[in-house]
Amino acid sequence: MGQMMGSYGARNVDLYMDDEPTFNPQTGFSFNRKEREMKISEAELMSAKIPPVYRDYCAHYLMDYQVCRYKNMPMLYRCAHEKHNYMNCEQQDYVLRMKEFERERRLRVREQRLVGAA
Amino acid sequence: MASNLLKKVVSGNSHGIRNAVGIFMNAARNHWNYQYKPGPYPKTPEERARAAQKYGLTVEEYQPYPEDMGYGDYPKLPDIGADSKDPHYPYDCPELKRNFNEPVHARAEIFGEDRYDPSMRPRIPLAQQWTWFLGVVGGSLALYFYLEDYKFGRPVTCKQYPGNGTHYLFTPK
Repeated sequence: MGQMMGSYGARNVDLYMDDEPTFNPQTGFSFNRKEREMKISEAELMSAKIPPVYRDYCAHYLMDYQVCRYKNMPMLYRCAHEKHNYMNCEQQDYVLRMKEFERERRLRVREQRLVGAA
Repeated sequence: MASNLLKKVVSGNSHGIRNAVGIFMNAARNHWNYQYKPGPYPKTPEERARAAQKYGLTVEEYQPYPEDMGYGDYPKLPDIGADSKDPHYPYDCPELKRNFNEPVHARAEIFGEDRYDPSMRPRIPLAQQWTWFLGVVGGSLALYFYLEDYKFGRPVTCKQYPGNGTHYLFTPK
């Protein structure tokens, strides 16, 4: 998909990095998409002093990791699994964003084609 | 100048006492402003000749500053900084590159080796320096404005946060 060129290939449909998706999330799916669920409440995150930028869908793994760090303080190697879980979750989150980007791009290209044909 | 004063003391004119005091005060304090004050602006050729002799110059090379600048009969010397003078010449005062009784420039404070040299010849001509400077800065700016229209980032949509609407996975329920 052209990692080196980044979002350059989406310039022709005026789509850039960190844009919001504009289409209905169900468009083009034969099944109902599963909703992302937040496994931890905002109040808990606030009481744990997790900064707002980290209060994403992976925050419960971050919370586990921080609890582990607190419990094992100098022996941080014991938290390797918690950290791994958190990093994996963030990576999957990123992949999801990339998929959303590609979906948005293809839908815009399709829209252009339909408008041109009509 | 000190020798002039000494001569005046010896010849015993009406300012003898004052000049003698001046010499002793000068020796103690190393400066006494009225002694360094230039004379009035020379208007006749005789006055010019006298002023030239006073500053140890010939009549041809003596040239006073314009009268309205207020330098009196002080000579207008060429603007040559100490850096432009020959470093190998055996000066009487090598620190200042100056010989004994050589007239001091009116703006000698700024012409020292540690300050400014108005007669400096730059190693790289000024036009070439400007060309390089404007070429580099202007070229960078031109490149920047040209590439304004070709911006791109990583192919991702914005970060999804729970409070910011409903988000979906790509798997069925």
